[in-house]
This record gives sequence, C-alpha cells and structure tokens, in this order.
Amino acid sequence: MDGLVDDFVARRPSGLEQAYALWSGVLYGVARHAIADAAGAEDCVHDALLRVWRSQNRFEGNREMLKAYLVACVRNESMAVLRSRSRRDAREAKAARLSIVPEADMPVADPIEARRLHNALARLPEEQRRALELAYYGNKTHVEIAEELSVPLGTIKSRIAMAMRKLHADLAEPKEVSS
Amino acid sequence: VSEHLGDDAELYPLGMLDDDAARSVERHIATCSSCATRVAQAQSVASSLAAGLPSREPSPALERRLRDITTTQRAQRTRNRFDVGWAFAAVLVLALLAFGWQTVVLRERIGRQDLALATLVHSHFNHVSMTPAAGNSIEAKILYARNGSWIYILVDKPNAPLRAVAQTPAGTMNLGTLERSGDVATLMRHPRVRVSSVTLVRGDATVASAVLVYGR
Repeated sequence: MDGLVDDFVARRPSGLEQAYALWSGVLYGVARHAIADAAGAEDCVHDALLRVWRSQNRFEGNREMLKAYLVACVRNESMAVLRSRSRRDAREAKAARLSIVPEADMPVADPIEARRLHNALARLPEEQRRALELAYYGNKTHVEIAEELSVPLGTIKSRIAMAMRKLHADLAEPKEVSS
Repeated sequence: VSEHLGDDAELYPLGMLDDDAARSVERHIATCSSCATRVAQAQSVASSLAAGLPSREPSPALERRLRDITTTQRAQRTRNRFDVGWAFAAVLVLALLAFGWQTVVLRERIGRQDLALATLVHSHFNHVSMTPAAGNSIEAKILYARNGSWIYILVDKPNAPLRAVAQTPAGTMNLGTLERSGDVATLMRHPRVRVSSVTLVRGDATVASAVLVYGR
C-alpha cells in the first residue's frame, strides 16, 4: 500500500502536503504554461487542489495515477480560466507563450520522461502530432486548430484523441535504458 | 450507462472541453468503469506531456495557502475529537449519576420494605381488606398495629398512582402516595395517633376504603 495515496484518498492533511511537496513543480508548470501571470497560475493550482480536496472524489489507483489525476485537474482549471478571460487577451498571451515541443536544451520537469515523450511524439503521424501539439503546448481550442490547419472540427477532435491513444500505447511500453 | 464517451475521454485531460462537457465526463466516469479506465489512461498521457513543459517553482506563498487548508483541517479534526471526548465523558457522567440515583432509590425502597417487615415481625397486628368504591375492582389490604403505632397499606396491581388519606381523632391526615414496586404498591406509616379509617384516592376520586378496628 502507498501511504501517500492512502492519506490522500482518506483526506488526511498529510496526503495533500506530501502530494504538493512531490509535484508542486509540475503542477505549477502546467498552470503557468496556460496562464501568463504567476499569481494567476498559482491561483489555478490552489483552486484545483482545493476543489479536489473538498470533493468526495473516489480516486482509485497508484501514485503515478494520482499525479496524472492532479495534473489533469490543474490543466482543466487553467484552461477554464484561460477560456474565461477575453479572447483577445488570451490569444495575445498564447502567441507569446506558444512553444511546440520543448527543445533539447530547455530545462524540463522530468528530462528522462521528456525524452521518451519527444521520441513518442516523433513516431506519431504528422497530422496527429501537429493537432496534439497545438492543443496542448499551444493552448489552442478545437476551433482555432481547425481554422489554422483548415480541417473540419470533428476531424481535429478525432486526430487529437487518436494521438492520445497511440501515445498511451507507446509510452506504456517498457522504458528505454539509456546507454 | 446509456452511451460511452467518445473522443471526450481523451480530450478531457487536455482541458479542451468546456465546463459543461467536462462535468458531463466526470459524471459519466463515476458510474462507467470502462470509460473511467480510458480517462485514466489519457490522464497518464497528459501527465507525460506535462513532463515536457519547462520546470517552474511556485512562490512560497502558494505552499502557505495550501498549509492553511491542512492546518484548518487538523484543527477541525482535533476539535471534533475533543467534542466527541467531551460528549463521551458527559454520557458517562450521566450514566453514573443515573446508576447512582437508581441505587440510592432502590436501597431506600428495600430499606423501607425491610423496616416494614421487621416491624410486622415484632408487632401484634390486625389486618383488614379494603372495600372498593362503586365501579372499582381494586384489591387492597391494610395491616396495622394493635397499639396503633404503624399502618401498612398494600395494593395489588394498581393501574394508577394512589394516595392514602386517614381519619384520626385529630382530623383528616394525608398519609402520602403509595410506592409502586413491581405489581404491588405499598405505604408504611407511623402515625402518632390511631387511624380509624383509611381511604385510597386516585386523583380526586375515592377508589377504596376500610375501617380499622383495634383490640383482639
């Protein structure tokens, strides 16, 4: 049994404190990627964790799944805030932040995982990879991606979903051992 | 579950659904295990995508804000435990008081009955059955000392509290309410004057009476 997961599911204060101590960097990184200002990004992390903590969520899984769950919660919170801000401001902010796939020398939260991700993304069909990168790293909506790529909205959704499923199958393979 | 999630299962962890659609996904996966598995897999991929983002550290202020949540929760839990502890202590004290009160009352009753029995054993006494008043079927008996020093009233299965009133040379005397113990109600009294008759009263109504005759 994982003490952290047990504490979190049981809503013991130490559960939230341990989770934050372990993953504050990645959670804040996710929020900051969507929200330009530091205070706004911190609000997103705070509000997302508070919502999860106060809800009667029935999380089941291991430590990695808990991390993924919290990352998704912060991402959803950040994107909801981004959507609520004016479209004009959001577009300007996104244009300033837009960065497709981290460069090799860019400091990332998890360099090994980032390398595996980079390779897995490279193995995706070009149209799927492009749609996913615009969605996640570009913070663009379906409509914006459809306009940018001149492709029907439904097709964009399908490409992104398909890319996610392929990435899951690829990343679920045993990790490469670097020489 | 009528219909499984489509592409929304993969789009949800990316934050691409509007609020209504996101809440719809959350409601659906609460009852659909297969879609919950798909969403969990997509969350895992989204977590991997996050690993490619630049590493950033939040300010200490964020940690303090979250500490406020856990500190408040700890204080609440401590208060709840304290409240539960006090409630338990209060119940225990009340239980002990009730037990103590019952013990005292029981001991007092037993004491009175013992005294009555001891009085009977060491006395010469007469007895008389009480005559029920019209419309009453009460069964009652009075034992009383020939020298008039005590009077003991017994009623079998009284269906309501009864009070005894005595007639004496000095006038009417209220002997008090009979004490119920099991199926019997009794009353032991030591009037300082001879009782000539006794009436049992329920409320304001007479339910039985008897005349006490002294001598052999």
